[in-house]
Amino acid sequence: MSMQYYQHFPVLSIMILFLGAFLVALFHKSRFMRTFITSVAVIGSFAMMIALIKPVMLNGEIITYWLGGRVPDGGYAIGIALEVDAVSLFFGILVSLAVLLSGLYSFRYTKQDDARDKFFTLYLMLAGGVMGIVLSGDLFNIYVMLEVMTFAAVALTAYRSWNPNAREAAFKYLVVGSIGSSSVLLGIALIYANCHTLNLAQISALAMSKMNPSMLLAFALLFVGFGTKAFMVPFHPIAADAHAAAPSSVSVLISGVFTKTGVYGIIRVCYFLFRTMGMPAVQTGVVLIGSVSMFLCVTMALNQHDFKRLLAFHSISQIGYILTSLGLCTALGIAGGLYHAINHTLFKGLLFLTAGAVLYSTGTTKLEKLGGLAKKMPQTAALFMIGAFSISGVPPFNGFVSKWMIYQATYEKAMETGSIGYALVTVLAVVTSVLTLASFVKVGQSVFFGEMPIEYQNVKETPASMLVPMWIMAGLCLATGLLPNLMFKYLLGPATGAVLNSPAYIDSAMGAGYAASQMPDMSLMADPVIVFAGAWKPLSWLLLFVIILAAVALASLMSKKRTSESGAVIDSKHDTFFGGEENTFSQVASGDLFWGFKHNMRKYLGFMSNAHNGITNEYVTWGVVDLAIIIVYCFIFI
Amino acid sequence: MSIDINTILMYLLYALVFPGLLFSSVFGLWLAGVDRKVVARMQKRIGPPIMQPTYDFFKLLGKETIIPANAATTTFMLAPYVGLVSLVVLALFIPVGGFQAFGGMADIVVVLYLLTIPSLSIIFGGSASGNPFAGVGVSRSMVAIMAYELPLILVLLAVSKAVSGNGMLTFSLEGITTYQKLNGSLLFDWRLLPAAVAMLLVIPCEVGSHPFDVGEAETEICEGPLVEYSGAPLAVFKLSHAIKMFVMTALFAALFLGGIATGMLWLDIVIALLICTVVTIICMSFLHAITARLKVEQVFKFFWTVVSGLALVSLILVWIGI
Repeated sequence: MSMQYYQHFPVLSIMILFLGAFLVALFHKSRFMRTFITSVAVIGSFAMMIALIKPVMLNGEIITYWLGGRVPDGGYAIGIALEVDAVSLFFGILVSLAVLLSGLYSFRYTKQDDARDKFFTLYLMLAGGVMGIVLSGDLFNIYVMLEVMTFAAVALTAYRSWNPNAREAAFKYLVVGSIGSSSVLLGIALIYANCHTLNLAQISALAMSKMNPSMLLAFALLFVGFGTKAFMVPFHPIAADAHAAAPSSVSVLISGVFTKTGVYGIIRVCYFLFRTMGMPAVQTGVVLIGSVSMFLCVTMALNQHDFKRLLAFHSISQIGYILTSLGLCTALGIAGGLYHAINHTLFKGLLFLTAGAVLYSTGTTKLEKLGGLAKKMPQTAALFMIGAFSISGVPPFNGFVSKWMIYQATYEKAMETGSIGYALVTVLAVVTSVLTLASFVKVGQSVFFGEMPIEYQNVKETPASMLVPMWIMAGLCLATGLLPNLMFKYLLGPATGAVLNSPAYIDSAMGAGYAASQMPDMSLMADPVIVFAGAWKPLSWLLLFVIILAAVALASLMSKKRTSESGAVIDSKHDTFFGGEENTFSQVASGDLFWGFKHNMRKYLGFMSNAHNGITNEYVTWGVVDLAIIIVYCFIFI
Repeated sequence: MSIDINTILMYLLYALVFPGLLFSSVFGLWLAGVDRKVVARMQKRIGPPIMQPTYDFFKLLGKETIIPANAATTTFMLAPYVGLVSLVVLALFIPVGGFQAFGGMADIVVVLYLLTIPSLSIIFGGSASGNPFAGVGVSRSMVAIMAYELPLILVLLAVSKAVSGNGMLTFSLEGITTYQKLNGSLLFDWRLLPAAVAMLLVIPCEVGSHPFDVGEAETEICEGPLVEYSGAPLAVFKLSHAIKMFVMTALFAALFLGGIATGMLWLDIVIALLICTVVTIICMSFLHAITARLKVEQVFKFFWTVVSGLALVSLILVWIGI
């Protein structure tokens, strides 16, 4: 088969980012060159991913690109391959989109920092590392990229090094994250010892026939390793610290992109390498970890007093949704999980950028210190509300559609297996969703609404160059919520099919028929047909909404309008009502909100805040214990 | 797809007149009037005329709208209208006596989520007013939402499981109505009786009626989120409150008493509306007259233990397949 021009796109989209990183370091003195090179790199990488939609998503091609032309020889894949199927491309698009938008935002956002050249060098290294992971077809290559990504992320976390929290967060990240990195490396070594290859496709074909205790150990190690990158419980505390300290545009990458490599890794390990996802024990395990992450982190988020820490905990909570859904191993579950993955990148990116805008304008993200900013920053407040509605699953925004699919998928699984446990997962997911809503009501009340402290009297709206990427993200939040059919056609349908079709992935790398020759009893894990239990037509809803809104607007236009706004001097008519007392500044503090909830849950919440004591040694212990539990679980049940 | 003018006009009629904007407003305000009258009679008062909420609505429309100096104006002014409109759209999706204007567009999970939009509009509207009373009200309203959401989803899942046979799961309201037409109303299925009771307790909390009206407690926090509202926006919030009574009771009728079929559509609809009224009297007026307002933490505890417990019993009974 002759080489098509687009087959070079995967390698180019990785290279352009790394090349950009070195060029930015080279031209570090020129602000123009820095901006230009970064823009070209992130736009180029995104454009190439978009160009691959047609061949990969619509025509169902799998692009296998052997670096240096070293094709498999003698039945073994010796060379390094990039292999892009619909799953890889799905994550590639998601990654490059987040990199593009937060890159554009960073130009202005980092204005008050020094050493901005190093910021963009590291930024592009991080982006390149992530792209390398999702597009690579070689296990060791993935590990190398994982390390590039991790070190760039650690350095970026500590970027504002004048802030002691940033240095501490980076240290924790490095130490706890190393558990993940070492287990991935050990897992790869065990696989190499058993299968004598590092090519994902070939391992996938050989793993089942070479199944032995050391391979099982490798599975557990890889699962925990990628789980660390996704910050699944109990690795979540490091994420909270890192997000809170890192610059917001980096938080977008850590939350929207970095964690997705963990999800991607878990998909590759469970659905491709070992194909263990069909086993009920693995499904139960993954769903359990997902549900615990989902619920535990949302309750932690409710307890936070810092805008960005709160978002960080939500980010893991949403990853919990994704893992839960992917762990079901049904077509609807996979589609719902992937949908939530892209939605999470969009709305969480948007929320981190609004948090960044608040930090940029006011210099703090402490919920207690802020208030009433909607009067000074109306656009940022509107953007925040779009993000908050999306993450809490308010129709018609995107978070709703994916959550709706996840509820159906978990409940269908419960029907299918006859186990009420999965039904309780559905309930837990709904409860998590309403708690998510509550914590964003809290942010809204304490940052954008309520009374404004006097020191923010002169706060200005976020600069336009930062607003534009945010509006794009907000628009995408609405569009992905309103147009699920297009999402299925172009992204989710092909990606879901690819997740369930590992033989095609194997054959593309190793030659047609290889999968069948190595795995005579291979079968698809589930039927890749997505069946919905209910109906949701967002466009019809929107149409009805607009019609009725028009009618109401018409009616209110016809009635006589008497609206009275306050003048420059506030008179008693327009002053805040205090029950007749004199008006004093009395913003309801964020910590006092939801007292009725906190009072009832005080034992649980108290236990949780005591457990998250910030001591690195304890977090490492959690991680090691978790690793041990998962290994034991694997040996008992698989 | 060919669209002819008659179909469009018919759908417009559904959306704007029946069961849409006009009907749900009139019927909702009527329900609110019945509620007030019944409460008054139970307290040995004469009570206002049944049309009083309607008069109040028009009176408020004529009043001046004051925008407080501390308010975030856009959110403050838009919130009531967004809440009203989303509630009316929701009313279109719920079958009334087997009549569903817009079928196949939203299932029970969507209904659950669409119900949060009106509540959110009150919360964000109140929040935007910048008043500390509203701040407290916002906090309390949100706790009330957290409180009822758990039992409500348990009820919905129990109903959904009860009507789903042969491994085919259905969340759709049509599916639930059809099942009841064939097999009788779910209220008479003893396994779902606890769920029905739970639903009857969820309704007053969702609507914000005594004893669960912690968010708007007039005597404590001056109607909380509504404290700074006046004129037309306040009228719209009052109207939304009334429509919510209709929507919630109609949802109860559709979920638990959807099996009533006389063969005549108009009669079915009239019966469904009567059921709405009876449910309003039972779960709102009756509770209102005999109870005092609970504390915030009591509301939360009550819903997460007693009401959720009832709903969970139904869910388990349905699951073990007795």
